[in-house]
Amino acid sequence: MRNPGTRLAVGLGIVAALAVFANAQGVDPARFAEPPIDNWLTYHGDYSGKRHSPLTQITVGNLDRLTQAWRFDTGQPPSIKGTPVLVDGVLYVTTPDNLWAIDARTAEELWHYTYPMNDAFHIGHRGAAVHGDNVYLTTPDAHLLALDAGDGTLRWDVEIADSSRGYWSTNAPLVIRNHVIVGVSGDFDNLPGQLKSVDADTGETQWIFYSTPPPGTPDSISGGATGGQMWMSGTYDPELNLMYVGTGNPTPVLNGEARPGDNPWTGAIVALNPDTGELVWGYQTSPHDTHDWDAAEVPVLVDGTFDGEERRMLLQASRNGYFFVLDRTNGENLLTAPFTTVNWAMGLDERGRPIPDPEKEPKPDGVLVAPNEAGGTNYRSPSFDPETGLLVVSAQDGFGIYFYKPDHGAYGWAGADYNIAGKSFLRAIDYRTGEIAWSHPIGDGPGAAGVLTTASGLTITGDIPGNLMVLRTSDGETLWHAPIGRVGNGPITYMLDGRQYVVVGARSSLYAFALEE
Amino acid sequence: MKTSILTSIAIVLIVGGATAGGAPQRGRSPAAEQPPPTVTPQEYPARLVEAGEPRFAARCGFCHGRDAGGGEGGPDLTRSELVAEDTYGDRIRDLLRSGRVAGDMHAFDLGDEEFTLIVAFIHDRKTQAELAMGGRRFVEADDLRTGDASAGQRYFNGAGGCAQCHSETGDLAGIASRFEGLALLRRMLYPAFGRPAPAPATVTVTLPTGETLIGELASQDEFTIALIDSDGASHSWSTNEVEFTVDDPMATHFDLLGAYTDDDMHNLYAYLETLR
Repeated sequence: MRNPGTRLAVGLGIVAALAVFANAQGVDPARFAEPPIDNWLTYHGDYSGKRHSPLTQITVGNLDRLTQAWRFDTGQPPSIKGTPVLVDGVLYVTTPDNLWAIDARTAEELWHYTYPMNDAFHIGHRGAAVHGDNVYLTTPDAHLLALDAGDGTLRWDVEIADSSRGYWSTNAPLVIRNHVIVGVSGDFDNLPGQLKSVDADTGETQWIFYSTPPPGTPDSISGGATGGQMWMSGTYDPELNLMYVGTGNPTPVLNGEARPGDNPWTGAIVALNPDTGELVWGYQTSPHDTHDWDAAEVPVLVDGTFDGEERRMLLQASRNGYFFVLDRTNGENLLTAPFTTVNWAMGLDERGRPIPDPEKEPKPDGVLVAPNEAGGTNYRSPSFDPETGLLVVSAQDGFGIYFYKPDHGAYGWAGADYNIAGKSFLRAIDYRTGEIAWSHPIGDGPGAAGVLTTASGLTITGDIPGNLMVLRTSDGETLWHAPIGRVGNGPITYMLDGRQYVVVGARSSLYAFALEE
Repeated sequence: MKTSILTSIAIVLIVGGATAGGAPQRGRSPAAEQPPPTVTPQEYPARLVEAGEPRFAARCGFCHGRDAGGGEGGPDLTRSELVAEDTYGDRIRDLLRSGRVAGDMHAFDLGDEEFTLIVAFIHDRKTQAELAMGGRRFVEADDLRTGDASAGQRYFNGAGGCAQCHSETGDLAGIASRFEGLALLRRMLYPAFGRPAPAPATVTVTLPTGETLIGELASQDEFTIALIDSDGASHSWSTNEVEFTVDDPMATHFDLLGAYTDDDMHNLYAYLETLR
């Protein structure tokens, strides 16, 4: 553990924070199963990953009154690429090495925690997690910190993975009962994929799930692959007591010769028992990936009718350009359909998995592949609207060129690839058919924003030129926009004092919008 | 130890001289493999380079690779024109201040000390790349020479439709002398990646009065369209106030990406390589 004395928290506003918490009993993770109304308690808002709000104060009919309520500037260059959490009137927002507690009514900074300078990757950060009166922050050098939610004091600091070996973390932990479940990244070294659960109170390790063989164990199934990092927050079904998380690409990344076969459990959705870390089932969306396509995208949990039968489903728009519907009780495939331009698969196998075309594996003279490394989609969260049955996702029709030759070796990237061009769209996928109900252009290049839908029929997201946009979920028509800069991830929404707020990070600022009073 | 780029260039010249009379080393043209040479020789003490390595990895490594040789989305800095033209961080500083809007690189606010260390490391890596022949993760021009130039010429004039906009005696005359290897391939596939398009889009705007303006497309999103007219004046409108059509030569390049077979791509590249 690190000495808590290294904390650099700014004390301004601590009194205000204590006042807020005087009435709070701390956060019981049982609340994470409820749809978000007057809080946004987890990265996804709740356990389901739907990012759908039941709130209806802001509607198609009153968007002309939607206006900025406040703005909070971090004062630092890195963009906010995470989702804030809201706990009883306090917002927690992160960038690498930083966590701010903000009064959700006034945007006043209550405290600011800064992690000491470290030499790990500072690529982005997804957000904080809460349990009781702890706030958890992962760090670029793959530590997990527990901070006092009231004043930002460091309570404990544990190492999740050894950053000197090439691990780093951007992860917003998933909290289930007393388990704080933390993933890491690491693509430039051949490292086992690992997900660690620690005790919410003490930081003691409870279990580690390895998606590829742990160090020192004989390789039984992965075919020699390492990797499969679980760098995104998973989802959870309390009734089945199963958590779902997507695993990343195998390493070596572009050299597939060094790791023959499907390379489980890389490029997969895995269902784990959160009390033991035991694998209950796994499903590979990208068997034998050679294009850096994670299956780390959000596994969205949806209950509904499929082919006339009530099903507990799991939906994923995966980085490889294919959309999947699985039965989440057992991993049975119900549907696979492309949602972006794809040219790398020869068809689907009997389990609905795309069959990689060997001709599209990286070659010495290059192959043109769709999608490119940025993917058909990426970390930016989609949203599921139960009313229409649409999964709304930031998608890219992109092309890249991929190279590998034996001289590139079998360590880390082991090849070279270059994005050539791409066009991005917000796409609404009908989960019952896989058909694209509408496709709304959002600019050239990869990316754009995460997505939020509301029960009043609104889709809230951003485009590549930097507009926050509100669209009609049923047909994708733009109804409202505000040029605030590139939106980092999905907006959140909640009721506070009878007023519905939409809060979103763009560049180095957090913005709140609400109806004019 | 001091790392001297001046010394490095001298060594490269000696190596080049030794092979100039015979077959190029390992059967490829050294000119095609060499990164763009550093314009202004600079020296960095080894202690700066060593201290810069972890700082580079932390700040830049995710996109540019820990060795600056290219990584997730970011180019190989040892082959960067900007780094070649940089003198003690002058060009790099400007880029870090502004970021690169088109390339999805945000601005970095680095302290002077960290900035100096990172610049030292980048230049050291570039020096090493200038010394090394074919280090890992490089795409050699020879690797790309698998196509059939005559089939590429047929594709150029036929199925590819390239001849509708380009000609081997016009805009593409000598193209393979100006761009080589991977740079030529990428420019062939999509010339506007990370740089202004060589042939900008034009836009025709019809105002509510019926007046028509034609100019170079300056910017476009769902809500605003802007052009620069022939006098260099800028104009912009809300997209819901005017009628407009955009003619973007890059659109044809994008459409071709979905149409090429890999053989088409390699054949067309082989044909362009003959245009010296």
